[in-house]
Amino acid sequence: MDTNTAGIPTLTIKLVLLGESAVGKSSIVLRFISNDFTESREPTIGAAFLTKRITRNDKAIKFEIWDTAGQERFAPLAPMYYRNAQAALVVFDITNEQSFRKAQNWVEELHEKLGDNIIIALVGNKMDLLTMQGEISNRAVNEDEIQNLCQQENLLYFEVSAKTGKNIQEVFQAVGEKIPFPTHNVGRTSEHDLTITDDQRIDLESTTVEGARETGGCNC
Amino acid sequence: MHERDRTSDSSSLVTSLMKSWRISSASSSFASKKPSLYKMNTTEPNSLPSSYASSARKDRRTSDGNFEAMAKQQACTRRTSNSNSPLRYVSPTLSTASNESPRPALLLRQHHQRHHNHQQHRHSSSGSVNNAGSNGTDPNKKSDRYFKDLDEDWSAVIDDYNMPIPILTNGGFGSPVVPTRSSSRRSTSSSINSTSNVGPSVVRNSSSSFTYPQLPQLQKEQTDDPKKMQVEIENERDAQELNSIIQRISKFDNILKDKTIINQQDLRKISWNGIPKIHRPVVWKLLIGYLPVNTKRQESFLQRKRKEYKDGLKHTFSDQHSRDIPTWHQIEIDIPRTNPHIPLYQFKSVQNSLQRILYLWAIRHPASGYVQGINDLVTPFFETFLTEYLPPSQIDDVEIKDPSAYMTDEQVADLEADTFWCFTKLLEQITDNYIHGQPGILRQVKNLSQLVKRIDADLYNHFQNEHVEFIQFAFRWMNCLLMREFQMGTVIRMWDTYLSETSQEVTSSYSISSNDVKTPVTPTEPRVANFATPTKDFQSPTAALSSMTPNTVEDSSKMRQSSLNEFHVFVCAAFLIKWSDQLVDMDFQETITFLQNPPTKDWSETDIEMLLSEAFIWQSLYKDATSHWL
Repeated sequence: MDTNTAGIPTLTIKLVLLGESAVGKSSIVLRFISNDFTESREPTIGAAFLTKRITRNDKAIKFEIWDTAGQERFAPLAPMYYRNAQAALVVFDITNEQSFRKAQNWVEELHEKLGDNIIIALVGNKMDLLTMQGEISNRAVNEDEIQNLCQQENLLYFEVSAKTGKNIQEVFQAVGEKIPFPTHNVGRTSEHDLTITDDQRIDLESTTVEGARETGGCNC
Repeated sequence: MHERDRTSDSSSLVTSLMKSWRISSASSSFASKKPSLYKMNTTEPNSLPSSYASSARKDRRTSDGNFEAMAKQQACTRRTSNSNSPLRYVSPTLSTASNESPRPALLLRQHHQRHHNHQQHRHSSSGSVNNAGSNGTDPNKKSDRYFKDLDEDWSAVIDDYNMPIPILTNGGFGSPVVPTRSSSRRSTSSSINSTSNVGPSVVRNSSSSFTYPQLPQLQKEQTDDPKKMQVEIENERDAQELNSIIQRISKFDNILKDKTIINQQDLRKISWNGIPKIHRPVVWKLLIGYLPVNTKRQESFLQRKRKEYKDGLKHTFSDQHSRDIPTWHQIEIDIPRTNPHIPLYQFKSVQNSLQRILYLWAIRHPASGYVQGINDLVTPFFETFLTEYLPPSQIDDVEIKDPSAYMTDEQVADLEADTFWCFTKLLEQITDNYIHGQPGILRQVKNLSQLVKRIDADLYNHFQNEHVEFIQFAFRWMNCLLMREFQMGTVIRMWDTYLSETSQEVTSSYSISSNDVKTPVTPTEPRVANFATPTKDFQSPTAALSSMTPNTVEDSSKMRQSSLNEFHVFVCAAFLIKWSDQLVDMDFQETITFLQNPPTKDWSETDIEMLLSEAFIWQSLYKDATSHWL
């Protein structure tokens, strides 16, 4: 079993991913969980559940992740998954303006339903697609607008690439750090923890990209 | 649990079913716990044919008791078939040991009874129901004794359940009747002989007009020394397999070739057990209700529908019709993500075809529109119909060849049209799954949980304790008809059965003339209640029922609902319960992780057939009960 974290205090964080279809939610999770990427993944139906353990100082954090389906038709299911979540990654595609609008809606819905009881990280995915043609970038979402939203709604913000792995670990690390370690919250008996972590290399080093650069700039 | 033992002359299918499982279990695990497993309660001493009237309630009660054990037994069966066991399916006729064996008629009668749960059927309890008796040595007598000796306590319950079941022939290791090796071999050869005589008439051997799918039968080879006989068994198995394939093909030929009117019931029944690849495209089109059973009309019909599709496309993509951008975009991003592991779906020509089909369907069905998951559902049709354009020897390469290399544009358009219409027909039956709120799926998930609660209370309670909610894993099962859980090959085999289960209704909206193209067919419009009777030869099960049973209306509405979606719930139940033994030891996280990635990669068609058979049994047993709680 998980020898690394057995016996040390474990904080379990329930985390949900929300965002429009095809912005890369599942890819972000796959990169985080198993440091892998596939170009074409079947659309998630309903939601997928995954877990991963990371360490924070001398403590362990276990993420229980619900990766939801993005299509609007499945939206009624979302409350079931974010209801008990302590953290949410609201993902959009930085080359797709529409997906940012959708992300805004999700942030509003989360705050409306859960108040401040949830840590929300806004995640702009597909950095790898950003190209500059002279002065013109194909970035579709205005950075000021992102910053405003983050300040207004008190969000963490990361720009990431699930494809290259850039900033993926950092997002989860940052979310983990935002959540206090309650003394009574010890994770479930490690006896039954079938964490995917074990044989799937956390290996923070290998995926670390030039520091935890929070490109959006709102360090809230 | 064991109230009393019952003796009765009537044996039944359930008896033999239980026996089958018992045998397989005993042989696979050499379990010593027989009595507790097999002595089931009989709540009513005289629950024989005369007491059908009160059967529904009773069924439920007794079966609850029974099925706790059955579920576990299934697990044993599963393992047996996975390991190197001789337990396997063969074609029905192949395993028919005796020339006079009543099995074909018997099975038909079973199917018949499936629709006659409330009817009195005294003749059904004749001693000819001797499924385990095919040892080649006076099967009737043997098996009668066999039943009586061991399962008298079962007889009383039996007549309330009348359904086809997987049949274990040749006894088994644990069988008290141990025929000699030679007799078993003799039975095989005689069965082949008998088939050649009986074979062609099998499908018409029915005295009733109700025919329903035969279940694949389990065959267990008889041997005293498994190791020694293994090679021999395997050889025999290969020969049987080949034989069975040839027989199946000729059976389909019998139904399809040189007929003016194709007997849809025969077709349904036989297709339930799997369709040979070369027949699959045309049979699917018939089963789904696309291709007319009147062969003289087929050609003109296809021409008309294909033209209709092309006109629809033309209209949709013309300037006067504004593109539904969000829908188009959603489909566009999902197409490359459809079956990403199969080369066929990476070809641009295929992607374009699927995009057109899905988009046209979506804008014509605005109440549901395009929903992720239905992109999966279109592919079995596409892939299957594509094989029509390949020479038979290359059918197996359909997933790796680029269709644009061997098809003309005209052919591609025809293929798309056929796919589109059949896909439309399929979705008509499961419309509720995809409209806003997806009520069909939510209902199915609920039904599944209720079913599991009754079939496998341990598992259900375990889920409750671990806070596992059915929707967390079963939503996808319903949304994609389990397609994500299996490989394409097994999915297609599964669809043979599913399409045989589709209901016969024809909706008024089906025939869209090119004039109505502008009127989208909303999936919410009520389905037409009456069954189609496409030809005068064809009598739908319900229509036939109506002439005999008083409660026609009720039955017909039940029948109508009990098509694809309902059967699918039973398949899901069987699928879930298959892992019951493992799941009860898992916590929440393990459970969800496991069910998201069930170990089905290596599943063969046999595994799928086993699953479908189990589902069929559950459905037969719970069908009436379900109306109270489903």
